[in-house]
Order: sequence, then C-alpha cells, then structure tokens
Amino acid sequence: MALNTCSEGISFARELEEAAAGMYERLAELFPADAETFRGYAAANKKNVSNVERAYFGVITDALEGCYAFNIEPEDYSIDVSLPEGTGRAEALAKALAVEETMLRYYQVAAEQSKGLMADVPRAFTLVARKRAERIEELKSLAAR
Amino acid sequence: MALLEEPIKEVKVLKNYIGGEWVESKGEIVDVVNPATMKTIAKVPISTADEFDAAVQAAQAAYPDWRRTTPLARSRILFRFKELLEENFEKASRIQTQEHGKTIDESRGETRRGIENVEVACGIPTLMQGYISEDVAHGIDEWCMPTPLGVFGIIGPFNFPWMIPLWSAPYAVATGNTIIIKPSSEVPNSQVLLAELAEEAGFPPGVWNVVHGGRTVVNAMLEHPGIKGVTFVGSTPVGLDVIYRKCGETGKRVIAQCGAKNFMTIMPDCSVDNTVASMMTSFFGNTGQRCLAAANAVIVGEDDDFYKEFVGKVVAAASKIKIGYGLDESVQMGPLRDRAKKENVLRYIEIGLSEGADLLLDGRNFTIQGDYPDDCFIGPTIFENVRPDSRLGSEEIFGPVMSIMRAKDLDEAIRITNANPFGNGHSIFTQSGAAARYYQYNVVSGNVGINIGITAPVAFFPFSGMKDSFFGVLHTQGKEAIRFFTESKVVIQRWF
Repeated sequence: MALNTCSEGISFARELEEAAAGMYERLAELFPADAETFRGYAAANKKNVSNVERAYFGVITDALEGCYAFNIEPEDYSIDVSLPEGTGRAEALAKALAVEETMLRYYQVAAEQSKGLMADVPRAFTLVARKRAERIEELKSLAAR
Repeated sequence: MALLEEPIKEVKVLKNYIGGEWVESKGEIVDVVNPATMKTIAKVPISTADEFDAAVQAAQAAYPDWRRTTPLARSRILFRFKELLEENFEKASRIQTQEHGKTIDESRGETRRGIENVEVACGIPTLMQGYISEDVAHGIDEWCMPTPLGVFGIIGPFNFPWMIPLWSAPYAVATGNTIIIKPSSEVPNSQVLLAELAEEAGFPPGVWNVVHGGRTVVNAMLEHPGIKGVTFVGSTPVGLDVIYRKCGETGKRVIAQCGAKNFMTIMPDCSVDNTVASMMTSFFGNTGQRCLAAANAVIVGEDDDFYKEFVGKVVAAASKIKIGYGLDESVQMGPLRDRAKKENVLRYIEIGLSEGADLLLDGRNFTIQGDYPDDCFIGPTIFENVRPDSRLGSEEIFGPVMSIMRAKDLDEAIRITNANPFGNGHSIFTQSGAAARYYQYNVVSGNVGINIGITAPVAFFPFSGMKDSFFGVLHTQGKEAIRFFTESKVVIQRWF
C-alpha cells in the first residue's frame, strides 16, 4: 500500500537507514580491513535519521498537507541487506551499492513530493540524498580496489 | 502498518491541579473514551463551584509574588517549560490522538503549534515594554506601561485539546497573571500533561491551575468576581449567548472565538493538483472538526468542462482517504470525537438530501482500516448543487462534509461568501495576483487564505475572526494576547 502521510514517509526512511546501518555493521565484522569505513557509514545512517526527524518534528504543522504529502510505493524501494555466510567482498560491496542507489532514489522522490510542506523537510531529504550520492562514489572506488 | 504505542495505558481518575497540588474532586466522575477504539482511557471529574472557588483563591494568592517576579525570570521558566514540551513532544501528540481521534501527523502539528506560542511568550521582557514621552509639558514626563490584571480563566474546546489553551496560557502567565484552565471534559488528558510539565518547569504554586468540569465550572468562572477575564473557543451560541454576554454583565475581559462556515473560492486558473491536495486537508483534516476547516467550495466560472474535471478529481482524491485509528501512521482521517457528533453529521447529510443537493460521495459508506468499532467513524462526504442559503450550505456542521456550489464570477463568489453570517477563515485558490488581491480586500473574514486551505495564523500573529465567528476586541496569540492580558497604566510625572 502506498505511503501517503508525512509520518509514514519519515518512518520508512528510518526503516531503510536502520536496515542499512545493520548491514554496514555486519560488513565491518566480515571485512576488518574496511571496518572503519563501514562503521562510519552505519553511524552516518543513524545521524541521517535524526536529521530528517528533527526537520519533521521541528516544522510540522496541521495547516499544511501532512496527511497527503506522499504517494510512494514502498515496494519500489525495498532493499536486500542480507549477507549470507561466505559472501565475498565484491558481492557484498555490490549489494551495498544497490542498497545505496535504492535509498538515493527514495530520498530524491521524498524531497520532490514533500515540496508542499515546510521547506525544512524537503531540504533534509535533499541533504541525505546528496550524502548518499557521495557514498555511492566511495563504494564504487572501494569496489575497484 | 503497526500501531504506534499508546501513551495512556491504565485508566486513572484525573485530579484538579490547584495551588501546586493535585487534588481529588468531589464531583461526579465521567469516562473519557477513545473514539477510535471506544475504550475508556481515563475518568474525569465534573468539578463543583466550590472547587473552582478554591482554584481562584489559590491563583489570587499566587498573583502578587508572580507579578513581582521579573519578566526575565518569568521568561526563564517559560524557556524551561518549552524544553520540557519538546522532550515530551511525542507523548503529548499520541495522547491527543488517543483522546481526540485525530491522526498522528495532525497531533504532531497541533503539538508544534502549541509550543510555538510558548516560544513567542518567551520574549516577554521586550514584548511587555511600555513607552515614554519626555516633556509632554514643561518638566513633565509621561509613560505608559502594561500591567497584569490578576486571575484569568481559559476554557478549552474538544477539537484541539493541547494547542488552543496554549493560544492564551503562555501569554497570560508571561505578563504576570495567574490562570485557571478548564479543559474540555471530553479530552482532558492533554491539559493534565501540560500542567505536569508546567509544575516541573517551576511555575510557583497557584500560577497555573487546572479545574476539570462542565457547565458548573464555566458558570462559576463567568460569575466569579476574582476572575478578570476569560478566553473561550467553542460554538457561536455558547460564545455569544453565554460567554460574551455574561462577561459583559460581570465586567470581565473576553475573547470568544466561535463557529465558522468557511468558503473556499476556486478560480479556473488555480493549480489544480495542489488545490485538490489542499482541499483534502482543509475539508477533511481533523475530520472536519476545526473552526478553520473549509465547508463550502465555490467553483468560479461557467466552463462546464473545467467544473466536471475538477470535481471529478476532488471526488477521486476524497474516495481514497484512509480512515482509521490515528496511531496507525498510514491513516489520513480519524473518527469524529463522539457518537453525538457523528449523529449530527449524519443529520446534515439527510438535510442536504432533503434540500435537493446531489450527493457525489456518501460518507455513510466507508471502510475502516483495522478492526475498530464504527461508532464515531464516518467517511468524507461531498455534495454538489448546494444552495448557499440552504441549511447544508450555511450552517456549521463540524464534520467532513464538502458542499460544492458555483459562481459565475469572482464578485458572485465573494457575495455568496460574505452573505454567510460567519467570517473565520475564507480562502481563494488562483494563480492571479489581481484576483487574490481583490478577494482578500473584499472578503469579510478574520483570516484569509491565498492558496492556503487552513488559514491558521502562526503564533506571532493574532488568531482573528469576524462576524459571528468572534466576539471581543483583541484576539489570542502574539501581541494582541499581550494587550489582552495587560492593562495600560499611564504615569504623569513632575518633580519640584
């Protein structure tokens, strides 16, 4: 069922960030050489959640279209964060890249659709999307090493 | 989607907060029912006149010291209060949903709007400054300073249990007055939490009091010589015939913010998709139980194709609204506050049909998301071909009912709008600056929206209202609230 309310949109972002953070913590255990990078990603994911929530709770108003902000199909943004035993580094990084690309798309759509709300909300989504784009480039160079 | 956790888990008998103590009432106890689940979530006393008198005495006793507390010291307590409100933001929001039925997004919006008034009142050291003229005559100086009056009564409505008392309370105490809040007995839990946080913030005993109850407490407030003024939000019959009249008789200051029948004028050049989204929030948000909810959509122009296409989009959007318990984040419209309010809306649907209006979307047929009793739920309802002078088109319904009417041009739309006795929050949707300017100049409405469906002023503007929507002179919120809660003392000084 489509996500329509602002609250749903924010909660879905939290779910994605937490799931991805869990994946990076696992990656840190599996590949100690890159552990610092992965742990940094996991920490940044948690910060993304608090930044988006701070924006939402800081400016939400009953006077704008909070209950009608979004029309997003969550299935379009489902992520696979599983890392079965024996997953190799290349495969794991490819998976992380796919997760990040999906999340980037989510934040871009959420930023676009929340433009009718107070400016802080789309701005927070845009900021996280920008960070995601940077992380995608980092993951690509990590995979190339 | 899973439900957010309910903050109220056990049924407690609520107490009054008088003179810094939580006091059991001797009055009758009635149930507070969650309108989505129909479960009792609290029991509230209907306090007696003697109990109200005790609160007045406590507030009067606290007043001299509180008045002497410097504005800066008062603002420090308000800053602490604001921090506590932020810490309890989510709890406060979920309590509103639990006791009122609104969606969690709506409750969070209400919480934020309430806190904004505390933030504005934190500026009291400068907001309360007076003014001075030197040498008004030879060697004579004159100045005017705002001074507090004493004890104020604040009567809260059922539709915004948290926010509406905060349109008054922070300004009243910031200016050095003491207060007694009477929350709606249908939704008292929000004001209990607020009083707990006021106590924790450090307001001295007796500055902030809460007395639960109904008519007896209201009448005691209106009669009591110790009450200097009253703020009220509720229906026009009560606001005019009871609150405003009685305050006039007893010489009290009064703000009576009352009923509404808000008209939304839709011009053919409007941004259609944005307008439709705004209409969903304005007509059906808070399940239509807000004095700034739009009730009548006046579609301007004789272009039948535009009319049909636009109305088709409105009906399609309203048909998709998800109805259910507001603690389910996916829900877009909660129940009405109680069965009687649902009965009232159902009665107006029948009235509309009997008056010959055409029912495009029947709110009597609806699906609830989740397993909840349908006692208080109703779906969005849309009528077209509604006559502005019909009961459906002219009376306040306070539910999710949209009445569509047509006007050949903007002048006719304004005429129709101004013919209604209410003047609370009319709005226009257009891309034309000239049309918007013409509309805002000519429409008689305390709050006017231009491409805004809910014309709710932010905390540093007055929450206005005209005609039968408001009785009084000054309004709640911002600078007008500061003036309402103070009187001007003019000093003329000469030294020999």
